[in-house]
Amino acid sequence: MEQQKLVIIGNGMATSRLLDELLSRGASSYQITVFGEEPGGAYNRIQLSPLLAGETDRKSIQLKTAAWYKNHAIRLHSGDAVVQIDRAQRRVISQNGRVCDYDQLILATGSRPARIAAANQALAGIYDFRTEQDVEQIITQGACSREALVVGGGLLGLEAAHALAKKGLKVTLIHRGDWLMNRQLDACAGELLRAELAARGIRFVLGDEISHFEGETVLQAAVLKSGTRLNAQLAVIATGITPNCTLARAAGLDCDRGLQVDDLLRSSDATISALGECIEHRGRTFGLVAPIWEQARLLADRLVRGLATPYRDAPVPTKLKVSGINLFSAGEYLDAPELDSLTFSDPHSGVYRKLLLRNNRLVGAVLYGDAQDGHWYFELIQRQDDLSDLKPALMFGRPECSDDNPSLPATLAIQEIAV
Amino acid sequence: MKNNTESSTLTTCPYCGVGCGVEARISDNRLIAVSGDASHPANKGRLCVKGSALHETTGHQGRLLYPQIQGQRVSWDSALDKVVDTFARLIDQHGPDSVAFYLSGQILTEDYYVANKLMKGFIGSANVDTNSRLCMSSAVAGQKRAFGSDTVPACYDDLDEADLVVLVGSNAAWAHPILYQRLVRAKQARPDIQVVVLDPRRTATCDLADRHLALKPGSDAFLFNGLLSYLAQANALDEAYIAQHCEGFDAALEQAQRQCPDLITTAAHCGLDPADVQWLFERFACTERSLTFYSQGINQSSSGTDKANAIINCHLATGRVGKPGASPFSITGQPNAMGGREVGGLANQLAAHMEFGNPTHLETVADFWQAPRMAQAPGLKAVDLFQAIERGDVKAVWIIGTNPAVSLPDSAQVRRALQRCELVVVSDCIEQTDTTALADVLLPATTWAEKNGTVTNSERRISRQRGFLKAPGEARHDWQILCDFATRLGFGDAFAYQHPADIFDEHARLSGYRNQGSRDFDISALAELSRSQYDALAPIQWPVTEASPEGTARMFADGHYFTPSGRARLLPIAARMPANPCRDGDFVLNTGRSRDQWHTMTRTARSPRLLDHCDEPYIEISERDAQQQRIHSGDLVSLSALDAEYIGRARVSPNQQPGSLFAPIHWNDRYASHGAVDALVAAVTDPVSGQPELKQSPVRMLGLRPRWQGMLLSLDAIETPASDYWSRVTLEQGERYALAGFSDRPDWSDWVKSWLPASTDLIELLDSRANHYRAAAFRDGRLLWVFIASCEGELPPPAWLSTQLGRSLTTKERMQLLSGRPSEGAPDQGAIICSCFQVGEKRIRQAMKEGANSVESLGKALNCGTNCGSCIPELRALIAHA
Repeated sequence: MEQQKLVIIGNGMATSRLLDELLSRGASSYQITVFGEEPGGAYNRIQLSPLLAGETDRKSIQLKTAAWYKNHAIRLHSGDAVVQIDRAQRRVISQNGRVCDYDQLILATGSRPARIAAANQALAGIYDFRTEQDVEQIITQGACSREALVVGGGLLGLEAAHALAKKGLKVTLIHRGDWLMNRQLDACAGELLRAELAARGIRFVLGDEISHFEGETVLQAAVLKSGTRLNAQLAVIATGITPNCTLARAAGLDCDRGLQVDDLLRSSDATISALGECIEHRGRTFGLVAPIWEQARLLADRLVRGLATPYRDAPVPTKLKVSGINLFSAGEYLDAPELDSLTFSDPHSGVYRKLLLRNNRLVGAVLYGDAQDGHWYFELIQRQDDLSDLKPALMFGRPECSDDNPSLPATLAIQEIAV
Repeated sequence: MKNNTESSTLTTCPYCGVGCGVEARISDNRLIAVSGDASHPANKGRLCVKGSALHETTGHQGRLLYPQIQGQRVSWDSALDKVVDTFARLIDQHGPDSVAFYLSGQILTEDYYVANKLMKGFIGSANVDTNSRLCMSSAVAGQKRAFGSDTVPACYDDLDEADLVVLVGSNAAWAHPILYQRLVRAKQARPDIQVVVLDPRRTATCDLADRHLALKPGSDAFLFNGLLSYLAQANALDEAYIAQHCEGFDAALEQAQRQCPDLITTAAHCGLDPADVQWLFERFACTERSLTFYSQGINQSSSGTDKANAIINCHLATGRVGKPGASPFSITGQPNAMGGREVGGLANQLAAHMEFGNPTHLETVADFWQAPRMAQAPGLKAVDLFQAIERGDVKAVWIIGTNPAVSLPDSAQVRRALQRCELVVVSDCIEQTDTTALADVLLPATTWAEKNGTVTNSERRISRQRGFLKAPGEARHDWQILCDFATRLGFGDAFAYQHPADIFDEHARLSGYRNQGSRDFDISALAELSRSQYDALAPIQWPVTEASPEGTARMFADGHYFTPSGRARLLPIAARMPANPCRDGDFVLNTGRSRDQWHTMTRTARSPRLLDHCDEPYIEISERDAQQQRIHSGDLVSLSALDAEYIGRARVSPNQQPGSLFAPIHWNDRYASHGAVDALVAAVTDPVSGQPELKQSPVRMLGLRPRWQGMLLSLDAIETPASDYWSRVTLEQGERYALAGFSDRPDWSDWVKSWLPASTDLIELLDSRANHYRAAAFRDGRLLWVFIASCEGELPPPAWLSTQLGRSLTTKERMQLLSGRPSEGAPDQGAIICSCFQVGEKRIRQAMKEGANSVESLGKALNCGTNCGSCIPELRALIAHA
């Protein structure tokens, strides 16, 4: 039987996982070609923060070497971005002029750093924090800088700030929100986080943003909307990501915030599927790996085995470690009039917990400092058991509650979760 | 050089009227251990749980150390001058009856003697009464009416000798555990001994009983009238004894027959099954060795004296008085109620069992004392005394070693009286009691282990209470304080005692003075003991005379009594039900002791293990009443009467009769917000003895629905928690409080911070609905307090949390703390059943699961019940209901 041509655009973590899933199903019916914008094989983007902090090296974060692709008869065109999809001809054309036919096309183009509105962003010394190359540049510039700015108080920004502070730079983090990680944490947890990182030498400006950067060709300072002027030789922009669907849009595929896919992860063109951070599924985009792993699994099932299992969006908890501080957030995280909350706070030890319930069912959990019971809460959010009898024992985690209510889950399939 | 070697002293227990010998081990002026004195005839080496914990209660925490006037520390001189000036002025202006002493069955005979002599012989008033009035004055009056003297005919050996033991109004298993255990062993040795308990409640004592007759509260005299009538009918009378040694029999029988002509009528009066009544009467009729063992259930009644005489009538009619195993046997509640009686510590007595009504006696005492101003008539009895104080007739009162603001009936009245009284002097060893709070002058007194003297137990046995610890602060012995006071009043010559032995000697000489067998109390053979002989005095039962130098086990075996005719009197008893009838919707409130507490808890509450057994004021409610009122065990329940309120936890119990309630007497303002049960008791007294009716009071009951309930554990004592309801328990370290609120939930976080010890290191659990709140505070990383409150659901058990106070906790442990439960390791063992070995219900149930199916096997497995044995009835109940 003649092999079908499967072309994958993008060589990030989603593609890496998809390849594993395809191969594990014996994808001999496909001849696979992968185009990657970045040079080299896929690497673990999550590890860029430790890489910046010098806690790991490039070799350690490599997911797949060039030899691996070769050994598995996968054609890899790295450092060569696809610039056009010719849907009529079912072929793609790359920056380097490669033309490659496909029977099935997969878009895994990932995301781009979100832009900020500040003027004068072209100055030398201002970087995104998205790729290995970004990290290299930041390290190089950091070595000859005294003062650094980090823009964005989400996970990535905090890790960048932590890494730079660790290198001895005087770091100021500027965040538009009123508290750090305001998409995952409530104000109280955000403040605990700020206080803890401030104690480690990072300065914070909250509720403000950069109006413009100053400098001739090289960054010298940033001026905030509040008028504050901050000297800096290095700035890292880490204000989040947006799905990268430039290519898809140009090809006439339906796009909104991301490339729109159906439950079988198909775009508006049935021969073109997509997964990962570039897609929008039922209005939702993705930034955490767990749902993307699930997408890779279902896509491989369909392509190799012909199974048409619909993808179902499931809530995903954020469990992470920011600079050694354990955090967990799942479901809702802000108080609301229709929600009941239970909170535990131990400011002296830096521990905080908030559980949110609607009609006595758990709908959200924010854990700061001790995230041990996070998975259990996550499961409770999914199960939607009536927990009236467990207030307030619920706060103290599974062991406290299982005595009272043996029907509650005692174990949980742990998902690998990260940003 | 400090002497650190251990020594030991034999002394006598300060708790109940059994008067057990205690061997105290001392090191470095500290009592380090106690054990039963094997040589003491009262207990032969055994101790109950309260006695076994004596060494846990002698710490100086909470002691009154210095004299105070209006709360300010002053010198002894200033304090006594103030007392002397006021007393002298009042006596001068208003006469001797404007002052009074109110004493305690806890002080020693020598203290009592001095107080009584001073008031009755030198100040010239008989206003000296004692809390013994609350305890056994009806028994005294009954004995005096029947025998012509306040004589207990029996002795403890009779418990071994009797073939039928009728316990009436006595929960000996809890109130007199050592006697109860003695009876248990007697019955083990001779299983055919019949034990009958007459009590409205099914108490722990019933565990031993062949039959429990749950008679209608207060109907005891009907039953004994019925018995007398039955004895006559069944030809079971000792006609010869009646003819030779008694008087008044016909009238007594006639009255008994009028009220209780037959079994059916008697049973109806008492709310009993006629078959049970018949069984008891038949037993009594045919058992020569019948012992009737009675206590507060008889005495604390508006007709207590009649009840005592109804009992004694039956014994006289069968000639069963003072014979081995055959006697009426009144058991006192306090360690030295008997000693107090011997020296005339009651307002209606003189001294050495002499009487005001007897001119010879008056003259005898006056002559012996060379009294300048001998009181000529009885003084005010306890309840009357505090009413006279409120009226302003008595203007100065000196309270020694007792807590009348808690223990007297209508305590609101007592408090009003003390507030109005011109001068309230309180000598006590404890600084903060409900009574010291109302005092003008506080005088620090020594206490057990420091005091030195004698006490007399329920079988007339005089034992030495020896001092072996140095008094703390400026505390002095009560007799010394009184002698100093007497000297300042100008009576120095008559109060120049240098040592308790001097007082005892005078007391012994007075007992023999112009006696020649005319009075029961005679210890003349103990006069003129040297100090070392006094120190070494072995326990001995009075009378101790030349004729019986080794003492006297039983009295009246010869049929000779101390009445003018020498015959015992039977009294016609018109049995009466309690004075305050219940209106519709009222319940009859019975009060009494709980197992491991003593009186108003000033001593026992210092031992955490004594509080383990029951740690909150409670109310026993019958299953029917609980169901009707929709009350469940553990609910807070309010009892009200006389504008006063008592709040306790419901204990729904099959042991309680419908319509009847029981509440413990121990709690008070120091330990609970609404714990003083005697505030509900009307000041109705027996017309003869003046003893108040503490056992049957009409009350209203209301199941409470607290808005929230909580628990607080704190290293520092909180004097008055801010919640509507609270009760307090002392822990090994710190205090534990149960709390509840009946109005709206407070704004938790602010509220708690407004009255709990401040801390900058606080952890909190908040609920947006405010249904739950938990918080803990730390000082230098150590747990200072933890507070848990809930508007719904249960609170965690306190046992584990109690162990956390003062500990340094890890981050994980701090959060765990607010869960109220340990994360792993030692499991919570449940409510403590065996106080001695700290064995909890859960452990016992576990051991039962593992095969232990008897008290013995549980004892082998866990040690529970093998020391004092007080918990054996509860162990049995656990086994029975397993």
